[in-house]
Amino acid sequence: MAQGTLLIQTDRCKGCGLCIRACPQQVLVAGQHFNALGYQPVQLDEALRRCTGCGVCAWVCPDLVFTVYRESAGRAG
Amino acid sequence: MARELWKGNEALAEAAVRAGAEAFFGYPITPQTELLEYMARRMPELGRTFLQAESEIAAIHMVYGAACAGVRALSSSSSPGISLMQEGLSYLAGSEVPCVLVDIMRGGPGLGNIQPSQSDYFQLTRSAGHGDFHPLVLAPSTVQEAVDLMYASFDLAFGWRTLVILAGDGTLGQMMEPVEMPPMRALAVERPDWALTGAAGRSPRVISSLYLDAAELEQSNLRLQAKLQQMAATQQRWESFCVEDADYLVVAFGTVARIAQSAVRAARRAGIRVGLFRPVTLWPYPRQPLDAICPQLRGVLVVEMNGGQMVEDVRCVVRERVPVRFLGHLGGVIPMPDEIEAELAQLVSLSGRAAFS
Repeated sequence: MAQGTLLIQTDRCKGCGLCIRACPQQVLVAGQHFNALGYQPVQLDEALRRCTGCGVCAWVCPDLVFTVYRESAGRAG
Repeated sequence: MARELWKGNEALAEAAVRAGAEAFFGYPITPQTELLEYMARRMPELGRTFLQAESEIAAIHMVYGAACAGVRALSSSSSPGISLMQEGLSYLAGSEVPCVLVDIMRGGPGLGNIQPSQSDYFQLTRSAGHGDFHPLVLAPSTVQEAVDLMYASFDLAFGWRTLVILAGDGTLGQMMEPVEMPPMRALAVERPDWALTGAAGRSPRVISSLYLDAAELEQSNLRLQAKLQQMAATQQRWESFCVEDADYLVVAFGTVARIAQSAVRAARRAGIRVGLFRPVTLWPYPRQPLDAICPQLRGVLVVEMNGGQMVEDVRCVVRERVPVRFLGHLGGVIPMPDEIEAELAQLVSLSGRAAFS
C-alpha cells in the first residue's frame, strides 16, 4: 500500500474531529495542545506510519487544513 | 437560488445584511468572531455601518442609540459578552426599542471555554437583564434555519418593538452546511413613527426607560406585560418529528435536537414509539403544542447541553402527568445519540408498561 503523509495547518483547525472519524487507517488523533483559535487541532500519529495518503481527511475537512502527500509508485527516488 | 456552503457565523451575518441590517456594533469573542469579521468587510462594502466597539457594553449601547433612531441595528456575542450586555438589553427593553442580538453560546460559568453549550437558557429566556421583560428568543438547529430566522428577526423586532435574540451554540456558529440565502432586501426608507429622527416640522419625541413616578412606571410595565402576553399567545414556534403515535417524547432544542433526532430514528428501528419535540422559540416557550401531546405519553426525556434549564419549562407543562427524565452534558461536551438511546431505554423500563409496538 502507498505511503502518505500530511501537512496539517493546525492554526485553522477547530477540532471538530470529522477527519478522525473518517480516516480509514485511524492515524489521526486530537492534539493535546491548543492553537491560537483556542481549539485542540488534529495531529497525524506519525509513529503508526499507516497513512496511505488516501485524502479522505482532506475531503471531509470543512476548513481545508490538510495537504496530502502520497508516495508515487512509478518514479521513486 | 444557489445552494452554497456557509459557516454558521458568516451565514448569520450575510442573512442579517440581506434582511436589511443597517448597522452592526460588536466586539470579538470566540466562537462568534467570524460573524463580526464578516461584517467588518461586508457592511462598509455596502456603505453601511460597521463598528468594533471598545467592549460589549459599549457595543450594545451603540445598538440602543441606533435603534432609537429607527435603524435596523444588531450585535452579536458569546455568553460572557452577553453577560456584559445585560444592562443595555434591559434599557432597550424598558424603552421598547427593537434590536437583534446573536448569542453563540459557549461553556460557562465565568470564562468557561469556547466549546458549544446551551447554558445561557435561563439568562436569555428569563429576561436577559434586570426588570420585568422577556426577549423573543429563537433557537435554530441548522445553518439554514439560522439564516431563515435571522431574515425574519428584524420584522419581528420592529413589529413588536422588542429585543430578538438568536440563540445558537459554538457548534452552529462553527459548522459549515449547505444554505440557500434569501434575496437581498432594499433598506427601509421610512422610519417608524416613534423613532428619533430630528423634530423638524413636528413636536419632539422622547425615548426613555426612566419613570420616577411609581404609578407611571407601573402603567409602562403593564403595557409591556400586555404585549408580552400577546407575544406569548401568538409567537410560539416549534417542530415535531414522529409524534403522532408516540408513547415517549424527547424534547431538545438547537444542535442537541439534531443529535436527538438520530437517537429517535434508531429507537424507532428498535421498536420504541418515540417522537421528538423541538422548541424553535425558547421564549415564548411552545407550551400549548407540548401540552397537547402530553395525554398520549408515558414518559418524557429532555436533553440539553447544560445542567437542566429548559427541563424546568417542560416540567411546568407536563405537570407530573408522566415521568420527566433529564440528560445533560456541560462544559462543551456534546451528547451522543447512543447515550440518548440508552436514556430512552431506561425511561421505557422505568415507566413500567410494555411500550413496544
